[in-house]
Amino acid sequence: MSHPLQIDKLVKRFGGLVATDNLSFTVEQGQSVGLIGPNGAGKTTVFAQIMGEHRQTSGSIRLYGKDIGAASTPERIRLGVSRTYQVPRPFAEMTVLENIRVGQMPNNLWQMIRRKPQHEKEVELALSVGFLPSDLGKTPGELSMGDLRKLEMARTMATGTSVMLLDEVFAGLTVAEIAQIASLIQQMRKDGMTFLIVSHDLKALEPLVDKVIAINYGARIAEGTFAEVMNNADVRSSYLGAA
Amino acid sequence: MGLRWYHFALWAAFIAIMVAIPEFVSKGTLRIIIFANFLAIFAISWDVLSGRTGYISFGHPFLIGIGAYTSAILTKRFDVPIEWAIPAAVVMTMIGGIIVFLPALRIKGSYFALVTLAFMELTYQLVQVIRPDLTGGTRGMSGVQTLTRGALNGYYLSASLMVTIALSMWLLMRTQLGTALSAIGMNEESVRGSGLSTTKLKLFAFLTSAFVAGLGGAFYVHYLGSIAPRALFDINFLFTIIVAALIGGASTIIGPVIGAFFLTFLLEYLRPYLPGAERYFIYGLIALLLYMYEPKGIIELLRKGWHRLFSRHSVETPS
Ligand SMILES: Nc1ncnc2c1ncn2[C@@H]1O[C@H](COP(=O)(O)OP(=O)(O)OP(=O)(O)O)[C@@H](O)[C@H]1O
Ligand SMILES: [Mg+2]
Repeated sequence: MSHPLQIDKLVKRFGGLVATDNLSFTVEQGQSVGLIGPNGAGKTTVFAQIMGEHRQTSGSIRLYGKDIGAASTPERIRLGVSRTYQVPRPFAEMTVLENIRVGQMPNNLWQMIRRKPQHEKEVELALSVGFLPSDLGKTPGELSMGDLRKLEMARTMATGTSVMLLDEVFAGLTVAEIAQIASLIQQMRKDGMTFLIVSHDLKALEPLVDKVIAINYGARIAEGTFAEVMNNADVRSSYLGAA
Repeated sequence: MGLRWYHFALWAAFIAIMVAIPEFVSKGTLRIIIFANFLAIFAISWDVLSGRTGYISFGHPFLIGIGAYTSAILTKRFDVPIEWAIPAAVVMTMIGGIIVFLPALRIKGSYFALVTLAFMELTYQLVQVIRPDLTGGTRGMSGVQTLTRGALNGYYLSASLMVTIALSMWLLMRTQLGTALSAIGMNEESVRGSGLSTTKLKLFAFLTSAFVAGLGGAFYVHYLGSIAPRALFDINFLFTIIVAALIGGASTIIGPVIGAFFLTFLLEYLRPYLPGAERYFIYGLIALLLYMYEPKGIIELLRKGWHRLFSRHSVETPS
């Protein structure tokens, strides 16, 4: 039985700094897992290693049982994992639909030339994350932070991902936008998506996760249900105390 | 992506104008247009790579030079028939394109631009010292076989080459591949994060750009019948290519063609008044002002003008 994501004794050093410290955890099929920790705890660095943007110093990352240590980022995406960024990274001079199109494209030059863009699928994805039909021709400069986060999610979904890593999806959003993204995540959970979610907004995170992993200085300090982790003494002192 | 009626109409009009031009202009003007055609080819080549992916090449004369020298040396020194020499020159230029591509695996931005500039300078030096018996050293080569005789034939050859290249590149860049190359210019990490191999895409852009540069360079040398290394590996030549693409409208294929014609005629009309280097100063100034006024280039000005004229009818913007 192979899990969508299995991380084993992961270590990442930046020079003398240990950003990921012997971290192990598993995300099961259809599960939604919260990854929390104070600023600089190493959450984003875990994402970067899962995606192959940073190579781990040691330890292993398995995707559906397959060790992806040597795979490039596009290869990992093809295996079904994809992430969004803390600071959205859209294609600035492209419309909402064109941004999604890049996520949809086959990673094959000949097919890129031959195949027409799948317009209906792009529209469907855009509408499914909550864009209005009137938004589809807008460029990122005309979008709110909430819309930019939706766009990241739509482009990520367009790659055909089954494991989604969301980095600070609620940062910089209005209350209404948070509610919208949260309900989008709930919908996707129902549809079977597996999630690993980083968020400082614990109130928004609580209803979205089956379990939470708390890290500090790159090492796991607690793991369990949301309530269990919140009541953990180490978490209270290192994270909630500081917040 | 979908072709619309006005795309066919505009291309038909463009081709019709190119065919009709010799009826209306003098031989002298025709010779100027021949240069504009070649400059347009070089600007398209630059645009396919730099206009799209944002990897600014300062080394295009290097690529054009490989095409020109290869074909000239093969035909003149080894009596290779021209119809073999030109394809060989294109292949050589594509190998040169791979050489320029290698630093793009690691470096970006101004560092990349400077490395490509070094390629151009290095080739200029090498051409002078390595086998001057083949390259003609500092003096270059003359008496290279020409493909055509007279301005009219030269015009038709250069115009058909330019139109063919422009049309095929335009069609290619309208596919999803063109979109992906533009995306690299906007955010390379996000392209990788969308599951696309940027290495493959960049290699394709370099090879396509080199293909066009090699073809243009080879035909150019067989039009001129000579090579002057000092004029070829020259910073003014380099900037004329880049400025043509930029003020015409980078990343559009047609923009660089418009830019090339605009620049060629600008330089030509300034010639009687400013014979020396001042000409390049004035043209630089005009280009800069135009670029500051409309960074998307002349093609965007034309598009806006068109919309102002027909705004009552046009609801959708052409894309
Ligand atoms: N490329 C890098 N080179 C050196 N150090 C880095 C690099 N990236 C991250 N770090 C360091 O690693 C540690 C973990 O950073 P990371 O961004 O993963 O934290 P985070 O938990 O995502 O923080 P935040 O909540 O602020 O987003 C920090 O001390 C950071 O300074
Ligand atoms: Mg972070």
